[in-house]
Amino acid sequence: MKQGTGLGVYAILYLVFLYAPILILPVFALNDSQVVAFPLKGFTTRWFGEMWADANLRSALLRSLVIALSTSTIATVLGLFAARASVRYAFPGKPAAMGLIMLPMVLPDIVVAMALLIVLLSLSVPLSMLTIIMGHVLLCMPFAVAILTSAFQSLDKSLEEAALDLGETRAATFRLIILPLVMPGIIASFLICFTISIDEFVLANFLGSGKPVLSVYIFGQFRFPAKVPSMLALGTLLVLFSIILLGFAEYMRRRGIAKAGGKDSGGFL
Amino acid sequence: MTFSDDRPTMIEFKDVHKYYGDYHALRGINGTIKAGEFFSLLGPSGCGKTTLLRTIAGFEDISSGVVMIDGKDVAGVAANARPTNMVFQSYAIFPHMSVAENVGFGLRRDPRPKAEKAKAVAEALEMVGLKGYGARAAHALSGGQRQRVALARALILKPKVLLLDEPLSALDKKMREHMQVELIKLQRQVGITFILVTHDQEEALVMSDRIAVMFEGEIAQLADPETLYRRPNSKKVADFIGTMNFIPAEVLSEAGDKVEIDAKGLGRVTIDASMAPPAHGESPVVGLRPETLTLLYDDQKPLERETDGVIDEVIYFGDMTYYDVYLGGTDVEVRLSMRNVPGRPVLEVGTKVRVAWSPSALVLFR
Repeated sequence: MKQGTGLGVYAILYLVFLYAPILILPVFALNDSQVVAFPLKGFTTRWFGEMWADANLRSALLRSLVIALSTSTIATVLGLFAARASVRYAFPGKPAAMGLIMLPMVLPDIVVAMALLIVLLSLSVPLSMLTIIMGHVLLCMPFAVAILTSAFQSLDKSLEEAALDLGETRAATFRLIILPLVMPGIIASFLICFTISIDEFVLANFLGSGKPVLSVYIFGQFRFPAKVPSMLALGTLLVLFSIILLGFAEYMRRRGIAKAGGKDSGGFL
Repeated sequence: MTFSDDRPTMIEFKDVHKYYGDYHALRGINGTIKAGEFFSLLGPSGCGKTTLLRTIAGFEDISSGVVMIDGKDVAGVAANARPTNMVFQSYAIFPHMSVAENVGFGLRRDPRPKAEKAKAVAEALEMVGLKGYGARAAHALSGGQRQRVALARALILKPKVLLLDEPLSALDKKMREHMQVELIKLQRQVGITFILVTHDQEEALVMSDRIAVMFEGEIAQLADPETLYRRPNSKKVADFIGTMNFIPAEVLSEAGDKVEIDAKGLGRVTIDASMAPPAHGESPVVGLRPETLTLLYDDQKPLERETDGVIDEVIYFGDMTYYDVYLGGTDVEVRLSMRNVPGRPVLEVGTKVRVAWSPSALVLFR
């Protein structure tokens, strides 16, 4: 016990350092003062109202939602193909292909952003929401593939063979057996890609046109002290939303593994 | 054991080969499986028995040769169009469905009204002893129950052939022995050809009408259990099925249907030519099962032949005792088994004994 005490204290300090700043968000979002500083003045919800009244913020949010929904759909569908192929089939160049898919996970976003920007500009592709979506798909694919690979790995190959053996076609086997069993993985992948995309800043800033997405808009607003409390209100909502989404995603992933009768081998939470 | 002789052929293999890349998994399989037969493919892991089963099911394409099911060449016929159904080693119960949905899965394309299908599902469940389990969730079943669901699911389609891929290997010993008997009864009841893949020689002997013993992609011997046990056609088969003592021997003469040999420790003996399977070019040995050797007590006379020996090891099993005995002052050691009966105490290591044996139990391998 005595030996572990130092490490325990370190662990607690570490967690405080990591999460305490996030707790500041709701505290000042509900504080009745424009100045972000102690002592607290009083309770108010007006920053939430002010936030919602900002038309520019609403359109930035809308753009972010469109981008996040498109990104998570595309990344999950592509991830489905990649994960299925990597789990079920052997083909030449498989390790290289899977390695390249997973690479964006470790590449600095700024490097990816610069490289993409240079390529897009040299090809004279106009920057738009579409270019941000392309960048985000690249960023989300490793996560989608990791989650879906785990879903396919816990799927017993003989389940497919049994359905075929009992007279079903390959298409019906996919619809009746494979899809329902990997569905929790699909949902989890979708949700995680969504949360990655919605608050992504670097690629969205580099590859966006003049119309900002949510993260870029928030960054811009921080220059105006009067806007800071309403941004904190927005941040509070985003934190809550992320926690709910990630919790749900992990729940779906675990349920999927339990349903398919497999053993849990990792995950994000 | 002429059960299989007068039955029509259900499955025929003609020089079946299967390659996985460079690996030669099936090396010229020939043979027939009769309609209504309980047939086993027996061999160690990697011998090709599961591959052979999967070529019948349609999950593996063969590289060359012909597989016929009920008189038809099934080359190019997909698994979902073959008159076979399979019980998988993992049972492959669909975990997101109820027991009834699992069992009724194969009836999805059946044009019969719903009520009739439900009746068929109930009957299938009753047949495997799971009456009333239909509404249960499949993932909540025990291993034995899963296996029964897998059986009901495969049998509901009334296939011509039921394929069983090591169906008992995941069960504990008691359950396994229980299911062996149940499977035999079920097979007699439905009259369908059962083909079982197993690495357990005891299981194959207990359950099968006929057995194909496979080694390294080839059928080493195809025979009924008694022939396999009493007259294995090679030392390898003899070694794989049960326990057999091998004693170095010398062939003295062969005339007509008699072979005269000199077996070390046993002496000169004449055996029937039927107990001398075709030669494999190995140095000759004779094989003797432990239960064909008997220890004689002082008051007993041998029925046929008798050899002196010394007990080297005693292995007590409760109902039986195994003795390892040096024969006739030689370094030849044989294992023999004796039932433990009242009035016959278990003997100690070092005891000089007399061993009775019968020439008719000897098999010559060479």
